[in-house]
Amino acid sequence: MSSPTSTAESVPTTLLSRLQQVVEHAGSHPEAAVCDLLRILQAEHGWIDDERLQLVARLCGISPVRVEELCTFYPLVLREDPGRHVLRICDSIACHLAGAPGLLRMAVAQSGVPLGQSNGHYSVLPHVCLGLCERAPAAFVDGKNTVAPLSAEALRQLLQGWERES
Amino acid sequence: MCKKGIVPTRCAMAEVFYLDGEAIPFRAGQNVLEAVLAHRQESSIPYFCFHPAMGSLGACRQCGVMVYPHDGKHPPRLTMACLLPASRDLQLGRAEAKVQHEHQLISELLMRNHPHDCPICDEGGQCHLQNMTVASGHAYREYEPEKRRYQSQELGPLIRQEMNRCITCYRCVRFYQDLAGGEDFGVFGSRDRVFFGRLEDGPLESPLAGNLAEVCPTGVFTDKVYHQDYLRPWDLEESAGICPHCSIGCNTRPGAARGRLRRVRQRSHGEINPHFLCDRGRYGFRYVAAEDRPRQAQAGGRRQDVDSVLDRLAARLAEGRSAFLGSPREDLDSNLALFALARVLDAPFAAFFEPWEEAKAREILALPHPPAPARISAYAEILVIGAVDRVAPTLPLFLRAAHDRGAAISLLRCLPSPLTALAGEDRLLPPADLLDAAWDWLGQRHHRPFLLLIDSESVGPELLHLLRREIGTWPDGSGILPVYRQGNLPGASFYAVDGHASRLRTALAGHDYDHLLALGQDPQEMDGPWWRSHGDIDLSLIDHRRSLSWDDAWLTLPCAALSERPGLYYNGEGRLQAAAVAYTPAREERHWRSELGPFPLAAGGALREELLPSPVELCRALAERLGLSERWQERLRFHRDFLLRSEPRPGDPGVFLPAELRARFRLHSAPPPRATDQGWSVCRFSHYSEEELANGARELHSLAPASAAWIAPGQQEARQVRLRAADGTSRTLPLRELPDMAAKVLAIPRAELVFLGLRPGDGVDPEWLD
Repeated sequence: MSSPTSTAESVPTTLLSRLQQVVEHAGSHPEAAVCDLLRILQAEHGWIDDERLQLVARLCGISPVRVEELCTFYPLVLREDPGRHVLRICDSIACHLAGAPGLLRMAVAQSGVPLGQSNGHYSVLPHVCLGLCERAPAAFVDGKNTVAPLSAEALRQLLQGWERES
Repeated sequence: MCKKGIVPTRCAMAEVFYLDGEAIPFRAGQNVLEAVLAHRQESSIPYFCFHPAMGSLGACRQCGVMVYPHDGKHPPRLTMACLLPASRDLQLGRAEAKVQHEHQLISELLMRNHPHDCPICDEGGQCHLQNMTVASGHAYREYEPEKRRYQSQELGPLIRQEMNRCITCYRCVRFYQDLAGGEDFGVFGSRDRVFFGRLEDGPLESPLAGNLAEVCPTGVFTDKVYHQDYLRPWDLEESAGICPHCSIGCNTRPGAARGRLRRVRQRSHGEINPHFLCDRGRYGFRYVAAEDRPRQAQAGGRRQDVDSVLDRLAARLAEGRSAFLGSPREDLDSNLALFALARVLDAPFAAFFEPWEEAKAREILALPHPPAPARISAYAEILVIGAVDRVAPTLPLFLRAAHDRGAAISLLRCLPSPLTALAGEDRLLPPADLLDAAWDWLGQRHHRPFLLLIDSESVGPELLHLLRREIGTWPDGSGILPVYRQGNLPGASFYAVDGHASRLRTALAGHDYDHLLALGQDPQEMDGPWWRSHGDIDLSLIDHRRSLSWDDAWLTLPCAALSERPGLYYNGEGRLQAAAVAYTPAREERHWRSELGPFPLAAGGALREELLPSPVELCRALAERLGLSERWQERLRFHRDFLLRSEPRPGDPGVFLPAELRARFRLHSAPPPRATDQGWSVCRFSHYSEEELANGARELHSLAPASAAWIAPGQQEARQVRLRAADGTSRTLPLRELPDMAAKVLAIPRAELVFLGLRPGDGVDPEWLD
């Protein structure tokens, strides 16, 4: 993976020009655009594969190792295919006290795969504080919507709905 | 906070602070931990993340000391010694129970996930974590959850990773990225799942990667080559060595035991290698164990005992038709011994077989005292010519330090270079244009002292000559530091750079001389076409590596390797340094039946010495057989005394070649410039591991790319290229693209250049083949 990989086929030209605009906006510090590029690519593809990692490194003028350092540091950047849906259940202290461990166990039982792994259609991930402590336990759905408080019933229905889709 | 730096800062020694009542002197700018380490060598304060070259981080929280404020208002407080600036009359406590308890707690925390595998860990016995844990007094801990486990990576033939041992001090990544400029190694993850490694398995790309084994305070990164021939560090006999693999002359610490050289580590020299050693210096020593290393004297391709070969050789020398060839990679005494023998026989002697190389050596000797490598970082303006990072891989450390201090670095190059990241001005040029570009750079206004760092393998003598002639017009303190791969060029060539190579060739090409006795230099590896066209010359070789002509030579005499004998070496700045004998080669065998193979000494085996004679001993034996022993000794003593006004001992910082001895080389006129055209030209392609001796180091050499001709992308669609030598022979090489190299340049390995009789910058007429 340390050698450059062609991304010409997997990234549409319009997206590529948008990415280049973001880099140009960063001026003399193209490396400053790295988080934005990762966010855009993940929104488009669902996760950051090796080709997209190499693309970001090339556009930002930094080594792929530097991009991977960033990706693995931030939990919101996904380096594996999570499936069509991602449910993040907050496991920080307020949510923990409000029943997050039970919700996580329930999600594991219903999805049939351990936390952080995809069952082919969706993934359930534990997450650091979502900032919704007053409505704990909180969840973050598909990187867009928050559900707080998340009840066991709401969780069951959400996952069942996703399973029906598949 | 301590400022990180490659070169130790020199400030006036001034005042003291007190640690447990003991006065500790410090220099302005030092932190408490630094001052304590400098005062006692080994600190009574445990620490991890601090490293003298990388400075303080305060991450491990291990070096806590109690500070007692003098104001009478504030209570004593625990502070990290590496983050506490040393100041006058500071009162600190380390011995009190609260501080010791803190040290124990931190040790316990760091050891929480550390496996109890010291008995099988290569670091055991030299482990900083082990030492600090014992020093802090921590012994027992309670921890119920499972220990954190990682899948370690396969990092190539030189470094072994065992990630489970990591204590997250960040030394490795700080060294690799911040100091060595490596881009293929980083830190991934967060919290207690931090991983230090590459994106995927594969050899580490930095030529300084071997330092990870020394930088890591525990056994995460260990020396894989040492592992193959492992004995506990306390069983090793260590000596003061000098790296022979390039002109920098780094100080090393070879470790040997039971007749085998097992590892080489760095030994700090403040002016040359304050902290680190490149991988060629660290792993190149393995040439001594090369499978094809010659150990048997031969005559006409048949094995013979040394005495009978010496008899035949002496008889041939007595005929008076022999010429002599020394070697810039051999130590001073070996060269002088051969030179003295040539003088008493009144025979031609040269240190180089190639007059072009000799002319360069003369220009190098003529340079005014070049600056020490570690002083590079003090320059504000630096011009780098050629591939210095490939020739002397430690130099980028100093250039990066100079860059961090704000130096303006300009780069003139043919090949891709990691230094481009540091260079404000970066020009890609064919070799023939380097001189003009250097001249342009000098034409700019430079008010501050500047340094020219020149890869002398990429340029010709005319460039060195013309630049040297200009030194007088430069700001005071400016200088030139040439780098090359020979470890003793000034020493070997001091008596033999006044047209000696040309005279040697003329003598051999005529009818008066028909035999060449060469020490550590194979003429076929220096000028292929010339040697092929003079096939009637008998060649006798004294060497410790199997060179190209070894099996076809008339006589061959294997000799002790450099680390098996004492040696004196002049480095690129003209500093004479001494290396001690690192080991006496021996074989472990069954004392009752030696033919049954190795049998460990520890299990009752015997040790049989296998020491080969040194070149000096061989020369002495020849002089005795010729009946010239006294004259030879007298001549050797004369040349030695003239050159060595004072002789350093192993471990000394070295003495310089006196300026008046260098002065005589400045009298020469300019070497003729070469004609250049606008067509294709050649430059030398080399990997950082490449050097005549280090090529025999199996593990290191396995990283070098296969022989090919390299060109800039998009220049040719052909797959192969055929190049012809002047004598009509040709070489066909696979064509490979190399990004970021000069256009219309073919970069080919030295062996191919020599075979074809080409020099860097020569024009060629390539024949492109599919």
